[in-house]
Amino acid sequence: MGVPVSQMWTVASYVIGHKIKGRKRYPLVLMLEPLFRCNLACAGCGKIQYPAHVLKKNLSPEECFRAVEECGAPMVSIPGGEPLMHPQIDKIVEGLVARKKYIYLCTNALLLKEKIALFKPSKYLTFSVHVDGQREHHDFSVCREGGFDQALEGVKEAVKRGFRVTTNTTLFDGADPNSVRAFFDEMMEIGVEGMMLSPGYSYDKAPDQQHFLGRARTRRLFSAILSNRKANWVFNQSPLFLEFLMGKRTYACTPWGMPTYNIFGWQKPCYLLQDGYAETFAELMEATEWQNYGTESGNPKCANCMVHSGYEASAVNDTFGSLSGFIGTVRATFSNRYEDATALETLREPVRPVHGFVPMEQIQNAASHHATSQQETRA
Amino acid sequence: MSGTTSADRPTQGNAASNADTLEVAPGAARAQIEGWAPELATPDELRAALDQAFDYRGDVTITRKDGTKIEGFVFDRRKGASLEQSFVKLMPKDSDEKLAIAYADIAALAFTGRDTAAGKSWEAWVRKYWEKRAAGEKGFGLQPDSLE
Repeated sequence: MGVPVSQMWTVASYVIGHKIKGRKRYPLVLMLEPLFRCNLACAGCGKIQYPAHVLKKNLSPEECFRAVEECGAPMVSIPGGEPLMHPQIDKIVEGLVARKKYIYLCTNALLLKEKIALFKPSKYLTFSVHVDGQREHHDFSVCREGGFDQALEGVKEAVKRGFRVTTNTTLFDGADPNSVRAFFDEMMEIGVEGMMLSPGYSYDKAPDQQHFLGRARTRRLFSAILSNRKANWVFNQSPLFLEFLMGKRTYACTPWGMPTYNIFGWQKPCYLLQDGYAETFAELMEATEWQNYGTESGNPKCANCMVHSGYEASAVNDTFGSLSGFIGTVRATFSNRYEDATALETLREPVRPVHGFVPMEQIQNAASHHATSQQETRA
Repeated sequence: MSGTTSADRPTQGNAASNADTLEVAPGAARAQIEGWAPELATPDELRAALDQAFDYRGDVTITRKDGTKIEGFVFDRRKGASLEQSFVKLMPKDSDEKLAIAYADIAALAFTGRDTAAGKSWEAWVRKYWEKRAAGEKGFGLQPDSLE
């Protein structure tokens, strides 16, 4: 079981409460970005492309608490930037725990070992560590050699100290499903509570625009990865959302499900797109023209999106909003092997990214070339 | 000089029907507009230039009709029925306040700040990665920009 019962109960009662009140739109997770500064410079990231004076700014703890209360969501995800670089991140977390919010502190973990003494283990606090796969894949993806080892040190320290720890993994075109499955084995062995997965999104402002999965390729990749599951793999996500990624379900986007607050205000319409800002949460919900967003809207900026920030809320809504969704969730929770001969066959095929780039193959070739050169030099 | 475009993205009409068959995300193309000072002779030129300022990944300098200049990052624009009812919102370089400036008050616009993502291509990282690995180096990577 990836999510503790108390958290499931809190979320279930919150969603059912809104349904009883007949509310069509309500937030599930607040995406609280207390800063944009980061200690990585990933080429595919669209969150850090700002001038220095913007990157130096932080939300104060009081601004964070006001946003959390205004929004009312039972869960708060703290991405960024790198939240552990915020000078008062411990005060922000402490205040949110006091408000009984389930927090996912999304970190690359480069500073986790150094800063972990600032935090106390709590059922409300989870370190959600960004790890994009096995060592070489992760380092390549985050543009930092050695990043994986540093992140793993942080993960192990947090697990040892009794914190809730999950991984969150973003997959791009060229991802090797066999390597991702081997990565799951490694993470479960380390003792993380669960794992989270998402396809990458091609941010308008990111330097790299070329290596993001389209929807057809996303479904094939996730089907290969998540079919024929091992019994010990635990995912800290809605099982229906994972089925959506595998192409077993279709959902419309719920862009208001995970609203985003940062130094500019309430971001319209969602965590990924920046189409302006509202000054209050109420203004965000009332003034945003929601029909213009989501893949089904025809908005080209939404065309490749299958990201959790738009679709996991749709899956959760399905669980509590329909009998078939509820039965599907129960079934997926207790019978999650997803045996599939076609997916198994896919695992035997070579990785064929559209842009002809296979990280592991290239890395292995480079390593053999280096070894050969050294032998030739010695000879 | 042309500005930011989404030339590689599918058109609005085809996007919904084609989305489920997409193999890779089409991405957006970006023209180099750092240093550009667009002509603002007509209301349409002004609106188009401020759209580009909103998409820009660096600071711009706005000159008001009273001659005052303000440099900062444009993070929002609200389009009303007239230039008087339309606003850009920016975070000035030298203060914490958020300013709203009516389109009607703007005399000139220049893309004076550095485009913070320009030149940081994936391909550049791939080249660096292979070179460093082949040389047996450890701990290399792309570094965040200096904040000074």
